[in-house]
Amino acid sequence: MGITRRQALAGTAGAVAGAAGIYALVDRHASPPERAAAPSSLPPEQHLLDGVQVITDNGVEVLVPPLHHAVVTGTVAAADLPKARAGLEDALRELESRFPATPAGLGITVAWGLPYFRRHVAAQWERLQPLDVRARKPALLDAIRFPSDPSDIELEGNDVAVLLRSDSEAAIAEAEKLLFEDLGVFAKTTVRRGFAGGGLPRTLALEAGIRGADLIPEKAELFLGFTSTLKDNLGPSRIANLETLGLARIPQGYFRHGTHMHLSHIHENLEKWYVNTSHKGRVQTTFRPGLEVPEGTLTVAQGRDEISSAADVRRGYRAHGAIGHTGALQTASRLARRQIGPDGTVYAAGTAIPQRADFNTLDNPFAWSAAGTESADPAAGVHFVVFNPTSDDFHRVRNAMDGVLPDGTTLVFDPRAEGQGFNSVLLTTRRQNFLVPPRARRSFPLSELRS
Amino acid sequence: MRRKALREATATLGCMRTVLVGVLGLALLAAALGVAGGVGEARAQAAAPRCAQLGGWQRLANRIKAPVYCPSWLPDPLVAQIGNRWNNIDSVSPDRTYLESWAWQEAAGLNTQEIHVILRGYPGQTAIPRTCQDVKTVAGKTYRKNIACFEDPHGTWTSKSGITATMYTVNHGADSWHVLFAWRRAGSLYTLSEHVALPLTFSKVVTNLKRMLDGLVLVKPA
Repeated sequence: MGITRRQALAGTAGAVAGAAGIYALVDRHASPPERAAAPSSLPPEQHLLDGVQVITDNGVEVLVPPLHHAVVTGTVAAADLPKARAGLEDALRELESRFPATPAGLGITVAWGLPYFRRHVAAQWERLQPLDVRARKPALLDAIRFPSDPSDIELEGNDVAVLLRSDSEAAIAEAEKLLFEDLGVFAKTTVRRGFAGGGLPRTLALEAGIRGADLIPEKAELFLGFTSTLKDNLGPSRIANLETLGLARIPQGYFRHGTHMHLSHIHENLEKWYVNTSHKGRVQTTFRPGLEVPEGTLTVAQGRDEISSAADVRRGYRAHGAIGHTGALQTASRLARRQIGPDGTVYAAGTAIPQRADFNTLDNPFAWSAAGTESADPAAGVHFVVFNPTSDDFHRVRNAMDGVLPDGTTLVFDPRAEGQGFNSVLLTTRRQNFLVPPRARRSFPLSELRS
Repeated sequence: MRRKALREATATLGCMRTVLVGVLGLALLAAALGVAGGVGEARAQAAAPRCAQLGGWQRLANRIKAPVYCPSWLPDPLVAQIGNRWNNIDSVSPDRTYLESWAWQEAAGLNTQEIHVILRGYPGQTAIPRTCQDVKTVAGKTYRKNIACFEDPHGTWTSKSGITATMYTVNHGADSWHVLFAWRRAGSLYTLSEHVALPLTFSKVVTNLKRMLDGLVLVKPA
């Protein structure tokens, strides 16, 4: 049966699309995978999600993320912060009592932006904000425009962002309603929705009439085809915590077990990617120049033996005039040497640091916004969500994607040049950095210290 | 120039509409008369594609001393006549390979709309040419690499006329951004491609290409 693109995004196609618009079709085309039972207690971190299934694809271990995702951003609407803090905490605990913190239940991550800290708890923030000792800067920085970003990119100023992850669209809807409508402590600024899962990108993009959708591989996990949730690609357990790698100094331990979250929205030009770039070209653009894999391969091993060094990236640049997306990132995203975390966990050299939580979207660029900037015409893209220990750590990785390597090398490209990895098919529209406090301090952090 | 092209395009489309209305009227009349006799005959005629503008194709076949494929149908408003206003490339190389291209463009606000079809023949060779170049200039240095002109095969399809062609979705040179079908006949390679551009979608282009393949007429040198 057919629904129009506008109906699909606006959610007016009745029983098919429902309130969540085209994303309701996720449940028609995919079943939740088997998930492990919820742990008996919640970790002190908000950003860790237990019970994520691991499968093997093409001989590589791959994590199966939750099917549904949403990020709701807002500003603080409450005048009475102690009351708002108590209300928010009660609401979060109520959700946790009803939904286990797994994909089968609901993952909730409450992250706070610099505008909140500066406007509402400035003195406490000044005293207790974590500091990046490597960068000699605060651990939470304003978002910046990277070399490949368009000049009109919007660096956002939200107070709060809540990441909701679940196999159940209903669980997300319930949390969104409770936290952003019933509670009355936030004024919603945007709602961003999306999905993850093998086969869904092609199916949903076709339903939405996205140009180039016909050529998305049938089993692809992401619009651009290649599997990204490789276990080796994602930082393990607490590696992205502020304290784990010793990158941050945390006054009085207030934000210990917290982390940093970057949120951006990126349009993806699927037609250019699939009609203008061969599979071989897509492999080399995604991973590294010269890499050969069998035709049609979507999952490519990225273990410690396969990662690129800065020297490899420079060699590829000289020989081919190009860098691969993953290869360039790895110069900044992997541990240069073995490290032991404060809890005794050993992280081998080459281990990935960032913990990604990005998801496919058909938002253009939002599902909803208070400013009315969203379009009802769907567009393929990604809501990029990633946890790094600090803003500077994220900025190093993102700069590497543009050929600005952490060892000081700058590989010169025109902005969004074809040789610059993925960049020629990506267009970033929004960015913001957030701090994710530990679970115990997730509700209006620092406000309890105001006199 | 663009305005002129637009006027010409509009005028042509207007003429096409008039012609189509006329053809439709005749078809209805023929259908009405067909009740009395000749339905089977009409079907047989419809099943046999015809090269309506044979002259140019015959001259091309004679010139390259090898058969060529004349399309009995091109997407509106293109007409498969060599030398007409939409035939923007009519080229034969010293090695007898040929390229016939028809393109229609219209500026529509910020989006240019385009219908562009290319037919090629490579007499005496069946290998996919590797004469296309991937060229990029990075930091003042130019990198050139010879690549296969047709890449990313996506299965085969057999036309009503018995042509079994492979669909390639990533193509280069004049066929950049086109979907292309390639097939071999009697030791020669032939291709047919159409640009994936507004107002067409990928799937509409594939549908068009299959219809064009169904209607190809082989023209042998005289």
